[in-house]
Amino acid sequence: MPKDVPIVAKRILFVSFFLLLLLLAVCFLGVSTGSSGSGFKAVWWALMDDSRSDPITASIIWNIRFPRVILAALVGATLSLGGLVFQALLRNPLAEPYILGVSGGSAIGAIIGIMMGFSRFPGVSMTAFCGSMATLLLLLLMTCGHSKFKDSLLLSGVMVNAFAGAIIMFLMSMTQDSRLHNIMFWLMGDLSLADMRQIRILAFVLVPCFCLVFRFSHSMNLLLMGQEVAETMGVNIRLVTVTLLVTTSFMVSITVSYCGPVGFVGLVMPHLLRLVIGPDHRTLVPACIIGGGSYMVFCDILSRVLPDQGEMPAGVVTALIGAPLFIYLLKRSGR
Amino acid sequence: MLLLFAIVIAVMPDQASAKTVVDQLKRRVVVSDKPLRVISLAPSITEILFFLELGDRLKGVTRFSDYPKQAAVLPKVGSYVNLDLEKIVSLKPDLCIAVKDGNPIEVIRRLELLDIPVYAVDPRDLDTLIETVLEIGHLLNADTIARRVTRDMVSRIQKIKTLTAQVVRRPGVFFQIGISPIVSVGANTFNDELIRRAGGRNLVKGPAAYPRFSKEQVLALAPEIIIICSMARQGGFERMKAEWNCWPSLPAVKNQQIYLVDSNLFNRPTPRLVDGLELLFQLIHPEFAEGR
Repeated sequence: MPKDVPIVAKRILFVSFFLLLLLLAVCFLGVSTGSSGSGFKAVWWALMDDSRSDPITASIIWNIRFPRVILAALVGATLSLGGLVFQALLRNPLAEPYILGVSGGSAIGAIIGIMMGFSRFPGVSMTAFCGSMATLLLLLLMTCGHSKFKDSLLLSGVMVNAFAGAIIMFLMSMTQDSRLHNIMFWLMGDLSLADMRQIRILAFVLVPCFCLVFRFSHSMNLLLMGQEVAETMGVNIRLVTVTLLVTTSFMVSITVSYCGPVGFVGLVMPHLLRLVIGPDHRTLVPACIIGGGSYMVFCDILSRVLPDQGEMPAGVVTALIGAPLFIYLLKRSGR
Repeated sequence: MLLLFAIVIAVMPDQASAKTVVDQLKRRVVVSDKPLRVISLAPSITEILFFLELGDRLKGVTRFSDYPKQAAVLPKVGSYVNLDLEKIVSLKPDLCIAVKDGNPIEVIRRLELLDIPVYAVDPRDLDTLIETVLEIGHLLNADTIARRVTRDMVSRIQKIKTLTAQVVRRPGVFFQIGISPIVSVGANTFNDELIRRAGGRNLVKGPAAYPRFSKEQVLALAPEIIIICSMARQGGFERMKAEWNCWPSLPAVKNQQIYLVDSNLFNRPTPRLVDGLELLFQLIHPEFAEGR
């Protein structure tokens, strides 16, 4: 047991508390914002079940906005955590949750589901999930037993992604009716169809994954020091790597299967938080979960508010804000 | 006893204010007897409602609902493939009318979970379009107007049918709905039916509804008439026409039969399809149009 546990615990609590306040604030903003408009007072009444609350506003807040905010928080948390884990496992700053081809496999599955006329849930989500799991299995089979496991995993992932990209293009060129629109919206990442019953299932699966990753956060710190150091410190490298790889790929797959591949958040959030709170994964894991969730909720609000009519994909906003912010922080830290 | 009777009578209108109907997807939908706040989930539905003189009951429409002009100023509820669920709910509709081909089924299910009845239609050809107009008219208690509108449609279709019966030759038509890439219409589309009914021959065969073509493939088809039905502006049409004119051996170029038509007359299953049919007939058989 490391000696610095009380200090780390305090640090984790401090960072988590601050980010939790931020998450609550953006969540409240999220349920207060929407195309139908409604002031903070109306939202407060609806949330407090006040008699002055308009039933339609209450229905919009509880049945449409609230599930969406929760979904955005879960998606942001999963993708940020996914990016953090892959960056640590592959020791590559360019790693992101989709680097192993999970999103490509998922997209192929989803497109096949849409072309077959399945409904979004459970039909398309199931085919997308099967696609991503098949990709992961293929990748593990390709790299298993390879002497340079990390490098072969990374290269195979890039190749699988490129191959999946070609299949996606081919499938899209074969689709000519309104299903093409559905495919496009799925590929952009779509949070608009959040449903509380499905989100409960998502949360039920994701929260244990978050806990498992947190359990291995100290091992990730040691892994970053190098394989030999980690082994000397008692880390079972094979167990840690395989567990984190499978858990992260599984949680990313399930998220992508539900709402499509929302881009950029998984790449930029771990770096942003690392620049702000330092490299310790014991703090970074909860920070990525809460901070990533907050960031995604905020980006989703903007994606609903910025266009004059309709919505823009949340992935566009995550990149538009994340990239300049990241470059600014990077420049500042380099001084 | 009288008091009890009065109470029953007072309660009865509430019970009778809803009716159960079966939509074109064979789903049972409970709707108000007199729906007054209707949301149209596709531009074609908006047009049909205005044809039925029910524009005043429309409380929301989708983007690109631009016909008639009054529709353009109504509140928008997203595009028909990307509906804004929150906006729909906030407009407090007592009925939404959806189309099977285009509206996402997930949004329809969510609306129903929120106790908003959704009546779905699925017009596949001119005959089912006429049925659709009658059904929407019946749903909104506008049977008389619906019958009048459909009678007019049927009589105009019949007139074209009589004229095409005298046609000796059916020219080969290439109906281009996309400029870059070149996209045409296959069998089982409204456009294919309109070409047939207008006395033409759709050169595109095969199961794909909207197949893509290379220029070489179009040249091989040797169309006698090219009809460009594109949402692109006039400039795009002129460029495309100039490109086809580079091939003087092409029968359509030789005969100077390359035309631009308004896409809204051909893409939307509304009574205006009959306008499209008449226009196509004039373009494919100008000899009859001149003689009329």
